[in-house]
Amino acid sequence: MHTIVCIKQVPDPEIPPAKFKIDPVAKKVIPPPGVPPVISVYDERAVEAACRLKDKHKGKITVLSLGSEKATDVVRHAISMGADEGYVLQDEAFENLDSFGTAYVLGKAIQKIGGYDLILCGRQAADWGAGQVGSILAEILGLPIITLACDIQVEDKKLKIKRILKDGFEIVEAPTPAVATVSSEIGLPRLPAGVALMLARRKQIPIWKAKDIGADLSELDPSKVHTEITEIFIPTRERKCEMIPGATPAEVATNLVSKLVKLI
Amino acid sequence: MASREVFWNITYGYVVYVLAAIGIAIWLYGFYQRYRVWRLGRPDECAKEIGKRIGVFIRTTIVDVFFHRKFLRQPFSGTMHLIIFWGFVILLLASAVDAISYYSGYHIQGTPYLWFSLISDFGGFLILLGILMAALRRYVWKPRSLNSLLDDGIVLSSLTAILITGYMIEGLRQAATEISPHPDWAVWSPGGWVFAKIFIDLSEGTLRSWHKFLWWFHSALTVGVILYSGLTFSKLQHLIVSPLNIFFRSLGPVGAPTPIDIEKAEILGVGEIKDFTWKQLLDLDACTNCGRCEDNCPAWATGKPLSPRKLVQDLKGHMLHLSSNSADSHESSLPLIGEAPNEAEIWACTTCAACQEACPVYVEHILKVIDLRRHLVLAQNKMPESAQLMLRNMQMRGHPWAGAQSLRLRGDWTTGLDLNLLGEGNHVNTLLWVGCTGALIDRNVEVTLSLTRVLKAAGVDFAILGEAETCCGDPARRAGYEFQFQLMAEQNIEIFKSHHIQEIITSCPHCFNIIKNEYPKYGGEFRVLHYTQLLWGLIKQGRLSLSKEVKTVLTYHDPCYLGRYNGIYSEPRKILQGIPQVRIKEMRRSRERSFCCGGGGGHMWIEEQPGTQKISQRRIEDVLNTGVDTVVTSCPYCLQMFEESIENKDSLKVKDLIEIVESSLKKSS
Repeated sequence: MHTIVCIKQVPDPEIPPAKFKIDPVAKKVIPPPGVPPVISVYDERAVEAACRLKDKHKGKITVLSLGSEKATDVVRHAISMGADEGYVLQDEAFENLDSFGTAYVLGKAIQKIGGYDLILCGRQAADWGAGQVGSILAEILGLPIITLACDIQVEDKKLKIKRILKDGFEIVEAPTPAVATVSSEIGLPRLPAGVALMLARRKQIPIWKAKDIGADLSELDPSKVHTEITEIFIPTRERKCEMIPGATPAEVATNLVSKLVKLI
Repeated sequence: MASREVFWNITYGYVVYVLAAIGIAIWLYGFYQRYRVWRLGRPDECAKEIGKRIGVFIRTTIVDVFFHRKFLRQPFSGTMHLIIFWGFVILLLASAVDAISYYSGYHIQGTPYLWFSLISDFGGFLILLGILMAALRRYVWKPRSLNSLLDDGIVLSSLTAILITGYMIEGLRQAATEISPHPDWAVWSPGGWVFAKIFIDLSEGTLRSWHKFLWWFHSALTVGVILYSGLTFSKLQHLIVSPLNIFFRSLGPVGAPTPIDIEKAEILGVGEIKDFTWKQLLDLDACTNCGRCEDNCPAWATGKPLSPRKLVQDLKGHMLHLSSNSADSHESSLPLIGEAPNEAEIWACTTCAACQEACPVYVEHILKVIDLRRHLVLAQNKMPESAQLMLRNMQMRGHPWAGAQSLRLRGDWTTGLDLNLLGEGNHVNTLLWVGCTGALIDRNVEVTLSLTRVLKAAGVDFAILGEAETCCGDPARRAGYEFQFQLMAEQNIEIFKSHHIQEIITSCPHCFNIIKNEYPKYGGEFRVLHYTQLLWGLIKQGRLSLSKEVKTVLTYHDPCYLGRYNGIYSEPRKILQGIPQVRIKEMRRSRERSFCCGGGGGHMWIEEQPGTQKISQRRIEDVLNTGVDTVVTSCPYCLQMFEESIENKDSLKVKDLIEIVESSLKKSS
């Protein structure tokens, strides 16, 4: 069983909200100083899902990350969790890609790696939250896509995947290979075992450029971008504290209820 | 001339020495069996440095054995043990004098003999009094930490019987030979004299036959006790095992875990009893179940599942189980962590070292806890969720604080300050190591700022790392996640070395301890100072004068990692005492006996288990009992824990020592 997991490095979502800065003109997030970027939370769960399959069925895990050279950090993190190999896709041509461009580059790299049974992505990235790459990737590779997986089982070369729905879950079957996007309900990612932490540190992480994966640069041309950001802004949150009057607790409660009813 | 005939009325008296020799031989055999059990443990560093050990051993023997320094912290039980100990020393010497005088032909006579009799009798009296105190404590008052086993009863009653029969034998001899011809001699053996008065009316024949019977009974009982203790490895073995344990005790820094060699490590932490080192197994036998550790444990005091006494005794149970199956012991492997000790106990420890400080025989609890945690974390990936969160944060973010309410960004405390950033501007080889808490948490940042202002006022030339500083690795190491610590240590040492750092000033005692005491094993040897040490030095040199009045009544809380781990008790107090109008009131538990704030050993982040109370609240009760208006500490964790636990913030303030110092600083004119 060979699983390929696509992971993304994102600005740390745990930083205090007041420290989150954007550049509305360039329409970019300003990375907070002194805070290392981290693996996107959903992608980490995708790695966890792959590790659970490996625990059960043996096999191999390869991780891929499209981003800057610093993305080797998140690839190493995945390796310390249990992945065997990892690659970073970095090229000037890969900067400022939308979901389509990203899926195209990942698809090329996946084709180069080959021999896979399952491709996993997080359900969406923790920074932009578009949630598109997994589905587009499946389209490009001509594979079935199962989104929002919260449990993945393999039986007789068939995938049995539990999907999260708004009002419950469903279990779907799919042939391998397939693409699945993993949701947080799959459970907490493991803490890398001690020795793996050190081994991952020493592991060489190859960096693949556009030419290494045979990417057609014309596909990544800015003119072909399907999505455009029109505006980015930090929503303002206003808080107002109002004391509900009333002589007795019962009266306060009554006043509160009538207030709430008006708000609904 | 006053004297007595040794072996009066006894034929074949030497048989008693033969019996004793047999008893001791069997006892040695029992000891050897136990020695084999200890040898099942892994090798230990402590077999080295024998020369240094002898010196330390002699010093410890004088302070902690002859003078009972640690015992006497509990006055009643300390006195009890002290008089039993000295009673036995007297009786042992007296028996030796008897034997020597019998075989050498030199007899003590006259006044020296009378004094010899009196002192010997006094020795027995001391032991009897001690036993009475022990029995009162054990069977009448029953303190919670005293766990009575059958062995305790056997030992106390057999010793009583030996001593009483000893006096009776003496009395019978006096009644037959001494009391009428020399009544003035007899009173010099008061214990015997009492019985002589009782037996005085018996005929000489009866006295002689009773004497003979009791003499052999007394001897047989004594040999019996030696046999019993050898065969059952009773608590009496502590006469030998405790000194042995003191001899082999760790001479290094308190609670410094042994590094794990990643290349060679076959086992990670301790998952079965044989994974302990032989010294750690010896520790288990050295424990006499006295309960002093339990009495001082903050986890136990606040109703958490951990008792250090029980932990050691449970581990001892595992060791005994192993020894009873010793034939195939090299094969047998039993998981150690389960019922007892269980995971909850292992995670309840704050590594405050109060247990080790209290232990008269130098049992080392903390490293056992850390070894067990290492097994859980590294080999089994089992830990409380809050511990996992902390470790993940350290791994991904380089600090354990992510998600905290008042979190700042690393380095943003330096905004607007004219500070020397390492690698920029003037080259300085003194580094101010701020620590995660001092850089990231609002309240502690105030302390850091105060520290930089005081250092500047004193003209100390220092640099900071700013954004580039990461965690020292302490929380990971205490939680058993050794390799994360190792990564951080190696990385930090590399940074220190690349900037030619020679001196490191720290604000946090946890950083201080690990950089000073634990980095050297990874090749990082620097001059490390806690800021209280530095300040006291500056004050002595006259570079810092604290002359402005600070009108306050305060108490100083000793952080565990500054006090018990590094023995820094006097510098903070001397600094505070030098400030005009500051009055210090000590808490009931201070200095060596300080009570943990609850934040050590990773517990600043690992959730405290439900108990009767939070550890920090218990400590605040100590503070409130002194009636002060301010509690001063010099550790960011203590500061945090106390801030959270003080209910009435108007009547009690928490301050870091540096804040008091700064308010006493005359503004530079």
